[in-house]
Amino acid sequence: MPSRLYDWLDSRLNLKSVQRTLLDEPIPGGASWIYVFGSVTLFLFVLQAATGMFLALYYAPTPDHAYDSVRFIETEITFGWFVRGLHHWGASSMVVAIGLHMLQTFLYGAYKKPREVMWMVGVVLFLVVMTFAFTGYLLPWDQTAYWATQIGINMVGTVPLIGDFLSRVLRGGEMLGALTLSRFFAIHVLFLPAILIGGIALHLFVLRRVGPAGPWTDDRASLGSETFAPRQVYMDAVVIAAVFLLVATLAFSIPLPLTDKANPSDTSFVPVPEWYFLFYYELLKYVHGPLEPLATWVLPLCVILIMLWWPFIDRNPVRNPIRRPVALGSGLFFLFVVFGLLGISLKNLYAVPRTDPAVAQGRAIYAQLGCAGCHRIHGEGGAVGPDLSTIGDTRPDRAWHLKHFRDPQSVSPGSFMPKFPLTDQQLNDLTSYMLSLKRAT
Amino acid sequence: MSHQEQPDHRPEGGFSTPVGSRRTFFHWVTVAAAAVVGAGLAVPLLGSLISPAFMRRQRAWVDVGPVDELPAGRPTQLDHVTTVRDGWLEATSHKAVWAVKQPQGEVTVFSPICTHLGCGYRWDDAEKKFLCPCHGSSFDVNGQVLGGPAPRPLDRLPAKVEGGRLLVMYQDFKSGLPQSVEL
Repeated sequence: MPSRLYDWLDSRLNLKSVQRTLLDEPIPGGASWIYVFGSVTLFLFVLQAATGMFLALYYAPTPDHAYDSVRFIETEITFGWFVRGLHHWGASSMVVAIGLHMLQTFLYGAYKKPREVMWMVGVVLFLVVMTFAFTGYLLPWDQTAYWATQIGINMVGTVPLIGDFLSRVLRGGEMLGALTLSRFFAIHVLFLPAILIGGIALHLFVLRRVGPAGPWTDDRASLGSETFAPRQVYMDAVVIAAVFLLVATLAFSIPLPLTDKANPSDTSFVPVPEWYFLFYYELLKYVHGPLEPLATWVLPLCVILIMLWWPFIDRNPVRNPIRRPVALGSGLFFLFVVFGLLGISLKNLYAVPRTDPAVAQGRAIYAQLGCAGCHRIHGEGGAVGPDLSTIGDTRPDRAWHLKHFRDPQSVSPGSFMPKFPLTDQQLNDLTSYMLSLKRAT
Repeated sequence: MSHQEQPDHRPEGGFSTPVGSRRTFFHWVTVAAAAVVGAGLAVPLLGSLISPAFMRRQRAWVDVGPVDELPAGRPTQLDHVTTVRDGWLEATSHKAVWAVKQPQGEVTVFSPICTHLGCGYRWDDAEKKFLCPCHGSSFDVNGQVLGGPAPRPLDRLPAKVEGGRLLVMYQDFKSGLPQSVEL
């Protein structure tokens, strides 16, 4: 135990009183596994900050180099793919953790007096995190990033009067380009972290002024209290470690292939947003014509304002969810709509093979063997062999491809394509990639 | 109550706080969880930080031209053009190397950098010497020092002939040392 060092410092800095302030905070009703989500969210922010700093060692925020620098991280840097995977899955996990944190707060009525300010700061923090997600999505500068951001900014453009001005400010001009990328980068790594850290400090300051809410019982007097340390700390730590292992497992096992480098002239590309924006993406499909602004900005603005103002809308002082049927009903309705749209969207997307890891592997083999020396896909590569851009439509037969890769001349007499020494797994992956090359639908 | 009491006290106000072996259990599980997260992050993050330090420049044989066109015994300057990777950048590197075809047909190739302080030298056909314009070092056709401050003969580059073409691998050397040390 480094207790002598601690004693030495304590005798000068009076640390024990700080330690008591931090760790002996009373929790009404005692520690509980249901209170861990705030700490988990805070941990995930630290994880994002740490992995982001290390990604920034290699990332270059210009359209000329962004894509190549991310590919460099992915292929050349030891653990680079893993650090990028942690950052990617950490972002998704953070959205989940915040969702659960807000759900718990909502269910327990913990936003009610005297905790209104804590809830409102929390809603702002949630919006900051979603802005993090939106700005971070552009940075790899691949097709998905470029076109998803194009759509996001165009949606801002539908706001009346100031929409056009706002979208110009977001883009840094008329076009999505170098200025957009550098400002998204600066916002993502400098502005938003500063805002988020300030917001977290305020959130925790309010927490310490009003104290944790505890259970929803009306009989407050009968509740005992338990200090934050050691049992709540232990619960937080166990869940944090489990979340970390989950994020690490996802980063380890699911590759994050880049799509093609951003190409503003390729209008055939169909971008898909991250899953946490999917419900909204789905909603936009159902609202057309003059009603469209309703979905692009009226509804989101209303939802945000209602969320922000919720402690003053729901003035019922009771915290037990059973006795708050209206609040509980509106909450369930909101979740039903969001998850319903998410479900429909995922169902529609499932048909798209872009998530198949075999396709990503096949694409890597295609690059590794230098197939592009002879074959062309979407304008990239040589013109010696057939163009493969839509080979999945023109030759959908898996068996043909497998046979062809083993011995090209056996199914295509006169072909001068060489035989490549591939394992069965590689043959299957390469074939999956071929079959995935279809006309955009 | 003073600040100096044991941490497993029951604080004033009647809070319950685990004590004894339960407290020790919570403490060690917390430490273990922190260790898992710490190690799980430290290894990949630091690994990615130090990774470029282990990347070696890739050297490749570069075709600098047909051997037949080299005059025997007279140094010729040849363009050595290759693509070099600089992180995620790919740049074209232009160098000019000195090649001397020996009477028996093999070719000696010299780095174009003077071994004294790194200036570029040239061949003086009248004096039959390599002359460095900076500090006056001079070398004979075999790269041996004839005069001036140069501490060692001209540095030789790996070279080979394949199919009548001369292939050269470019290298940089430290200047100012009595022996050839690659950078």
